[in-house]
Amino acid sequence: MFEEIIENIKVKFFVGEISGKSKNLLFMTVNKEQAVNIIQYMNENLGFKHLVLLTAVDFIEEGNFQLTYLLNNPEKKIDIGVRVLISRENATMETAHHIWQTISTYQRELKEMFGIDFPDSPRVNEPFILEGWHEIPPYRRDFDTKAFAQKFYHQREGRETIDPLVHMKNNLYPNE
Amino acid sequence: MSKTEKFSFDGDRSLYPDKKSDGTLDIDLTSHKYIKLWHGPNHPGITGNMSVELTVCGDEVVEAKTHVGYLHRGFEKLMERRKYIQNFPLVCRVSVPEPDYNEFNYATCIENLAGITVPEKGLWLRTLVLEMARLQGYLMWIGGMAGALGFGTVGQWSNYCRDLVLDRFEELTGARIYHIYILQGGVRNDLPEGFSQRMDATLKEIQGFMKDIRKVLFDNYVFKKRTVGLGVIEKEWIYPYGIVGPNARAAGVSNDVRKDYPYGKYSELDFEIKTATNSDIFARAYLRYEELLTDIDLIKQILAKMPKEGEFMAKISNVMNLLIPSGETYVRSECTRGEYGYYMVSDGSGFPRRVNVRGPSYTHAVALLEKMLINANISDVAQIMVSLHTYPPEIER
Amino acid sequence: MAIIKDILTPFTVWKHFFKEPVTIKDPLNRKAAPRYRGFHQNVIDKCIGCGTCEAICENEAIDLVEVAKAKNGDSGLRPRVDYGRCCWCALCVDVCTTGSLKLSNVFTWVDTNPDNFRFIPGVDKKPWDNVTDGYVKADGLELYPLEKQQMQHLHPEERENSFIEIMKGYSREEAMAEADRCVSCGICVATCPAHMGIPEYIKTIREDNLEKGLKIMYETNPLVEICGRICTHKCETVCSIGHRGEPLSIRWLKRYIADQIPATEYSRILKQDSVEQKNKKIAVIGAGPAGLSATYYLSNLGYKVTIFEKLPAAGGMMRYGIPEYRLPYDQIDKDIDYILSLGAVIKYNTTVGKDVTLDELHKNFDIVYIATGLHEGRSTRIPGTEHSSVYQSIELLRKITLNEPIEVAEKIVVIGGGNVAMDITRSLARMQKQKYGKVQIIATSLESEDIMPADREEIVEAREEGAVINPAWGPREIVIENNKIKGLKVVKCLSVFDEDKRFNPKFDESIENFFEADMVVESIGQGMNLSFITPELNEKLTKDHRGRILVDTLTYQSSIPWLFFGGDIIEGPDVIHGVANGHKTAKGIDNYLNLKS
Repeated sequence: MFEEIIENIKVKFFVGEISGKSKNLLFMTVNKEQAVNIIQYMNENLGFKHLVLLTAVDFIEEGNFQLTYLLNNPEKKIDIGVRVLISRENATMETAHHIWQTISTYQRELKEMFGIDFPDSPRVNEPFILEGWHEIPPYRRDFDTKAFAQKFYHQREGRETIDPLVHMKNNLYPNE
Repeated sequence: MSKTEKFSFDGDRSLYPDKKSDGTLDIDLTSHKYIKLWHGPNHPGITGNMSVELTVCGDEVVEAKTHVGYLHRGFEKLMERRKYIQNFPLVCRVSVPEPDYNEFNYATCIENLAGITVPEKGLWLRTLVLEMARLQGYLMWIGGMAGALGFGTVGQWSNYCRDLVLDRFEELTGARIYHIYILQGGVRNDLPEGFSQRMDATLKEIQGFMKDIRKVLFDNYVFKKRTVGLGVIEKEWIYPYGIVGPNARAAGVSNDVRKDYPYGKYSELDFEIKTATNSDIFARAYLRYEELLTDIDLIKQILAKMPKEGEFMAKISNVMNLLIPSGETYVRSECTRGEYGYYMVSDGSGFPRRVNVRGPSYTHAVALLEKMLINANISDVAQIMVSLHTYPPEIER
Repeated sequence: MAIIKDILTPFTVWKHFFKEPVTIKDPLNRKAAPRYRGFHQNVIDKCIGCGTCEAICENEAIDLVEVAKAKNGDSGLRPRVDYGRCCWCALCVDVCTTGSLKLSNVFTWVDTNPDNFRFIPGVDKKPWDNVTDGYVKADGLELYPLEKQQMQHLHPEERENSFIEIMKGYSREEAMAEADRCVSCGICVATCPAHMGIPEYIKTIREDNLEKGLKIMYETNPLVEICGRICTHKCETVCSIGHRGEPLSIRWLKRYIADQIPATEYSRILKQDSVEQKNKKIAVIGAGPAGLSATYYLSNLGYKVTIFEKLPAAGGMMRYGIPEYRLPYDQIDKDIDYILSLGAVIKYNTTVGKDVTLDELHKNFDIVYIATGLHEGRSTRIPGTEHSSVYQSIELLRKITLNEPIEVAEKIVVIGGGNVAMDITRSLARMQKQKYGKVQIIATSLESEDIMPADREEIVEAREEGAVINPAWGPREIVIENNKIKGLKVVKCLSVFDEDKRFNPKFDESIENFFEADMVVESIGQGMNLSFITPELNEKLTKDHRGRILVDTLTYQSSIPWLFFGGDIIEGPDVIHGVANGHKTAKGIDNYLNLKS
């Protein structure tokens, strides 16, 4: 069943790598420029009416974000995850709120947490979860939560731990 | 008084604000026509810690904005710094009222990516715990629904019943709320001695209270007057607004993850999906009440069909050294509010690359609520919100 | 009418007015369920301070603090829990390697001093220390595999008449599955006489970075293929997984790493660049484990080493004492060839005392290191041992390796219960099978089977190959008739050691037995041959009250400054002690020569 759907999409659009295939789940990579058109096509013509989630994954080693639109076909009961790679510098993506109104909430969160801009999405610049945040978008992998906590919060003293290997060396064979 | 006309932007708009060109409302706060009210975050009419900023004109709401963020604990970021086994105590705290669904989804994501199979008894025990979680979730919700309308006694009864279910959790898993019972590969312990008998006694007591709650709530003139015809969800709104669970089923769309994508041992259990046609607050409340009774029946079935002997945990490799090859997966399950999903991406190391929690309240409490509150009376805001059964912890994790 | 019903029906629940309230009147004394996860308890004697609970806690709530001095197999540290961070998830209880940590079901604790909430369970006395209810790990839940990964080996029918190596080695999947079981506690390192970096090289197997593993092993032990097959693996006796399951197969994992890397790659991986050449010469007498290990580390420090070896090939007891089916000769060559490739010179068939004297060595070399080992067999000296068909096991093993012909009688009795006795028994069993087609060999020892010093696997495999092991007998006389051996007369041995743990065997002379044999092999101990040390030097050496040479415990330098001793003649006797001695001696020689110049 997946093969017909993929063939149907391939007629009009470019489909890249396909992976993670299981009984009713599949992930496929598409181009950034065609992504919104593809999901609109899947929504209107192939029955993928339900948007499950829109999220981003930070691949900092390769210098890009992966956006995942997870679409679900309620009749055929299958999911397809549409992956889009966008660059980490000046990250922007076309908005899709004309297809699903609820996606504007996801886009607001991605703008705030990852710094991915969706121009023209409703209320996208209003902070969604954080208030008075002055650091870099926190879900990015270069934001170090431990360093942030040690800088801004008082650490209670008195904790220190000993490694068993080092302690046994100091006790049993210190000179060897 | 309840309204039965549906709101329409193109009807008589002399009392309402004008629409701007981009579709948003032109509310002139200096015109002395409007007042801004904050409904929350500390408010008895809210299901948790979130606030709704209402702009009211007289007695009617013309614009509503949801403000979340009081419960942001940064779980998705915290999970990236810990090994897969160390995330289990974190994960159950993401959606506080029903913690077992988090553990189940996270454990199933790991099992899908790492190729672990759960033994039979482990699946039965998981299903039992998930159903018990649903039961106590609905019991808490019924108290909230009635409390939002002023029926405080129902809340006392339902929380007592929930306490009895938490006692059963305590003797099965070792804790009342944060069970940390489901691990990758199975569950942590078997049923203690005499569990089935005590569970049956608890279920019998709960069923007795449910009869009384039905009489107080659903056969009650005041309740019906305040809920019938209000808070209608149209069938066309289901997919554009991502509505799942009892909210969608009350509108006539028969979606239930337990039947559509069976997990655990649901394929061997006997139950029906209930739907309604009215899709107002009363229908949703009654639908949830019926699902509560179905859950009680399912727990009895599970205890009867569960095998007595068997392994409850698979033989897994060392959890401290677990490395999962790169891949991604999505796992969903049906909690009391709808489809609850976990999206996990692994990258070949011992730490997850990304775990995204998709809670049903994410779409219900923000976009849908803002749409539904328009044209509602201030006194109806509480019950519209509670009838959507939203829990803020899973919106902002 | 429906409206009237809807108004009146709710009033029917007024019956609850007459029911008993459900509130619990005394909430402070409510007892939690038996499995409730409450406050920590730790059995201090059972805990070994491995630190796995600290590693798994995701809130970093556990620290390891010093409670006692470290012992063999016990790090002396115990977990201290910080209740400001703990969430009582009990993962530390599930992962505990000895099962000493558990949670009670007490959950109330009121205190005015916040620092008291960091406490060491089991050491700091608390009111819930003796509560028996609480959370313990369920049987059937294991967070790491407890069973060892078995190694493929030849079955008795395949191996009973040839000297092909029995253990076949791990495949990649088996090695990764076995390496996966390690929890990296590090307790094994102190027990290993050479203190090899065990958790680190096991980690390199998991990461599939075997070249790094080889480098880590060679930092402390240059005889990796050899130790990977025949080491006495004292580390495995203290492995923390061994408390509840089977200990990790550390020896076989060592062998796996070395097996995967061909000898031609050793130089590229292990070569140390820019070794500063020192102009000092060292003579090493004996090319056994201690001598070779000292050679390796001295060569890497820049010294010129010359080895004097009595036999035609290097290896000492490793080659001439251990049979080929346990340690094949090409693997010995693999390790030794790399050590010699670093520049040392070896003179075979050269006996010090005969071909060259110790004084000549003293003149031509700066330091002399004596590591000649224990190659003289000890005799029971019971009547009949003068017969020509009574042999020493060490001599026979040496001749088998040298390919010299030895007598293989149809019925043989071996006296001895150690690993060397098992070695000669199994070698002669194979030769009997090859010559006569059947095995008739009996091994007997003073010790009863439960205290036989030989490894358990040796005894089991010897029986599989047809040998009869009949322990707990004391040899009395070798019966000779017409100048041919008839057999060995023995009496029952009741015990070997007395209460002071001294060797004091007790016999029951009334219970006798007779083992028929044409040949007797004695394997009751080994002694050293230091006849090449001249009497003048011998006087200058300080010895202990039993006549053994005293050396510095860290450098192995004797009372004569240019003479160092090491290997089996000082301590052991096994290969890994020799390797450790050689390493420490090399460092000691280096320090001494640096101080002198």
